Amino acid sequence: MIAFGCRLMTMLGLMLIGLAPASAQGLHIAPRLVAESAEPAAGGATTLALVMKPAPTWHGYWKNPGDSGIETLIDWKLPDGVTAGELAYPVPHTLIVAGLMNYVYEGEYAQLIQLKLPAGLAPGTTLPIRGTAKWLACTKEICVPEKADIAIDLKVGDGRADAALAGDFARWRAAMPKPLGSEGRFAVKGETFRLAVPIPAKLDVADVYFFPLTDGAIDYAAPQAVSRNGDNLIVEVKAGGGAAGLNEVDGVLRIGRDNGLALSAKPGDVPAAGAPVTASSEGAGIGAGGVRTALLALGGAILGGLLLNVMPCVFPILSLKALSLARAGGDGRGARHEALAYAAGAVATCLALGGVLLALRAGGEAAGWAFQLQDPRVILLLLLLTAAIALNLAGLFELPAVAGGQALAAKGGTHGAFWTGALAAFIATPCTGPFMGAALGAALVLPAAAALAVFAGLGLGLALPFLALGFVPALRRRLPRPGPWMDRLRRILAIPMFLTALGLAWLLGQQAGVDGMTLGLSAALLTGFGLWWVGRRQATGRAAAWWPLAPAAAAALALMVAVPREPAVAAASQASEGALGAQPFSEEKLAALQAEGRPVFVYFTADWCLSCKVNEKVAIDRAEVAKAFADANVAVLVGDWTKGDAAIGRFLNQQGRSGVPLYLFYRPGRPVETLPQVLTPGTLTALTA
Amino acid sequence: MIGKSIAFAAAIAIAAPAFATATATVGQPAPDFIAADANGKPVKLSGFRGKTVVLEWNNPGCPFVQKHYDSGNMQKTQAAAKAQGVVWLTINSGAPGKQGYMTGAEAQAFEKKEKAEATAYLLDPKGIVGKLYDAKTTPHMYVIDPAGTLVYAGAIDDKPTADQADITTARNHVLAALADVKAGKPVAVATSKPYGCSVKYAG
Repeated sequence: MIAFGCRLMTMLGLMLIGLAPASAQGLHIAPRLVAESAEPAAGGATTLALVMKPAPTWHGYWKNPGDSGIETLIDWKLPDGVTAGELAYPVPHTLIVAGLMNYVYEGEYAQLIQLKLPAGLAPGTTLPIRGTAKWLACTKEICVPEKADIAIDLKVGDGRADAALAGDFARWRAAMPKPLGSEGRFAVKGETFRLAVPIPAKLDVADVYFFPLTDGAIDYAAPQAVSRNGDNLIVEVKAGGGAAGLNEVDGVLRIGRDNGLALSAKPGDVPAAGAPVTASSEGAGIGAGGVRTALLALGGAILGGLLLNVMPCVFPILSLKALSLARAGGDGRGARHEALAYAAGAVATCLALGGVLLALRAGGEAAGWAFQLQDPRVILLLLLLTAAIALNLAGLFELPAVAGGQALAAKGGTHGAFWTGALAAFIATPCTGPFMGAALGAALVLPAAAALAVFAGLGLGLALPFLALGFVPALRRRLPRPGPWMDRLRRILAIPMFLTALGLAWLLGQQAGVDGMTLGLSAALLTGFGLWWVGRRQATGRAAAWWPLAPAAAAALALMVAVPREPAVAAASQASEGALGAQPFSEEKLAALQAEGRPVFVYFTADWCLSCKVNEKVAIDRAEVAKAFADANVAVLVGDWTKGDAAIGRFLNQQGRSGVPLYLFYRPGRPVETLPQVLTPGTLTALTA
Repeated sequence: MIGKSIAFAAAIAIAAPAFATATATVGQPAPDFIAADANGKPVKLSGFRGKTVVLEWNNPGCPFVQKHYDSGNMQKTQAAAKAQGVVWLTINSGAPGKQGYMTGAEAQAFEKKEKAEATAYLLDPKGIVGKLYDAKTTPHMYVIDPAGTLVYAGAIDDKPTADQADITTARNHVLAALADVKAGKPVAVATSKPYGCSVKYAG
């Protein structure tokens, strides 16, 4: 009986282990435990990531959940001597539901845990890492407390990181707030909590929001006013109930999308508010200020849409369509219907594009729209589109919408008008994308409804001239009569379009180097061949004229994948290279320089680190230092941690630091010397004495 | 019945300006309010002057509320309060259509099913009382002393989980506050961070 019981227990145990992944399917947030190194070294450490994937419309919570919610808790069952550190959370998002603030994650997010191993474990020993994780999963309507067993088996080894996960861990680390290093100050004045954070005046910040870890400091749902006064970033917000009695306020300051700084503030003087930083969309949703911002953005969008009409890619479509409307002659009713349909088409396309972008945003896509435009692959796509449009204008092939083939856009009447509007809006986007990135970025930080309104405004603006033509017969009568001159105009309009393509090629070259640009131009050439063939087939009136484009498109796609993603390194190092001729830091480079027997000065900096910038200005980038270093043949390496580079983060950790600044001096054959965090030129010149 | 409703509406209209004055702050007089109970009868907070009053924000659909009702912890706390002559007002600020919203009849059924010991179950579908007290979660608990001063605001206990097993080891902040009030002492833990689901306000 006892034996049977034991066997039953074992079976149950096995079943439970076997069921663990299956039970995860009933959860609204699916957890997954992964380790950076599957074979951590004895006496060393590795990082675990608890990767949480909320189902659509569900969200999980930050350590301080805001007005309601619960942090993630893990009950560990670890082998003897193995210890797990606290959960590190990525920078959260704000979510206001019925006036209550929630600090949440709506897309996949990873919480990192430092796992320490005792010394003296025999290599090959299996380490079963087990735990029970508890968290709260919510939609805007309901909340469900969830719980799951998490497990991973590690083996004592050499501590090498798992190469397959390196990219993931780099991404997860980049989403973590970076320790600011210097201290903030806060003051409670009346009902206002005021926070000053030292941030270099030159650093661009956007979408600033202070997420407090200390409860009671601020009213979470209140809007935050952000301004800059010299090297101070000032956040003002309604104080929380317990603010007056606090001796320290910890939190995370978001300074850009998914980019935050962890800081601690002590009571002290907070300078007066300065120049306001672009309204953050957070706080009480669309408050009074938010409405104004949204209206302003909407007005701007309508104006922008209006401007799109004279863009080289839209103008021909519009003018040809307008002329066809003029042909309709006296039928005012038909003209009005067509104009309305055209407007609907333009607005619908803009809304659809906006919806896609918002969906990407909701999906937790780490990169914002502006960032997308820094992705060479996106630039390449735009290059191909503009080149294709230019070739079309030049007469290489005909688009059904413009030429009057049998496709949707050419169906006379309202249907045709709708699709022409849709086409105009679609074609307008690639032409303007690179130039409107900033404006669209602004639209995307607004709440979803307001952002969609901005996109709709863009479409409305685009349709305005056509609407005017449809509703004002006098305007229609003034249109020139259609004729062969229209074709000539179209050919001429090809020229600015080709120039746009040229500009994009240049951008691509900037971002992906000469190889990337060549790949891009090859793709454009292939597309050109494909389109030329299409044109030939169209000219001979064959059916299915478009199929030759398929192989060209496939080849272009393949090239797009091949374009190097990493932007040319030159740009990055140029920015941080000072008088010393510093080279970008890497551990290999450091080892190589040491092997040459040269003394090496290494410094780590970030654009958001004020003390780093001050040190660079007053001590590092100085002629006397440059001379002393040159005389002593000191090599200089600089690590730029602005974006939270994972390799640099690891190196900083190895030096026992969590952030920047860090100044190191390596003398040949001697242990590394860590320099003080406040430098003078004398400290540096003395190194070479 | 109609006359009663009109009188009630009038009372609310009269009382409404008082709502705008200040939100609840621990150590300050608890703002007065009138709300309908599950039978449609108006209940006025200041009518209980001289007695200690507990306010409990409730949403029967919320797992954190269920933690305390399913385990019997809330009913036990209510019974202990009742034994001391304390008035217990359970308040639902959920808006119609949101999770946990209840009509009067549903609220009566809920109280009966849970064997709750509250003095009254108040319906606040517009969230007027909830906003007045800045109630953020369910449960969110408040204790008002016989002089009408708000002496406690926060969580029911110090274990912010949805796990019933945590109740036995938790410190029940409400019972502790009631004991302090009864002993004439200042409440040791006068505020805490409430935990639970967000109150499902309209909008």
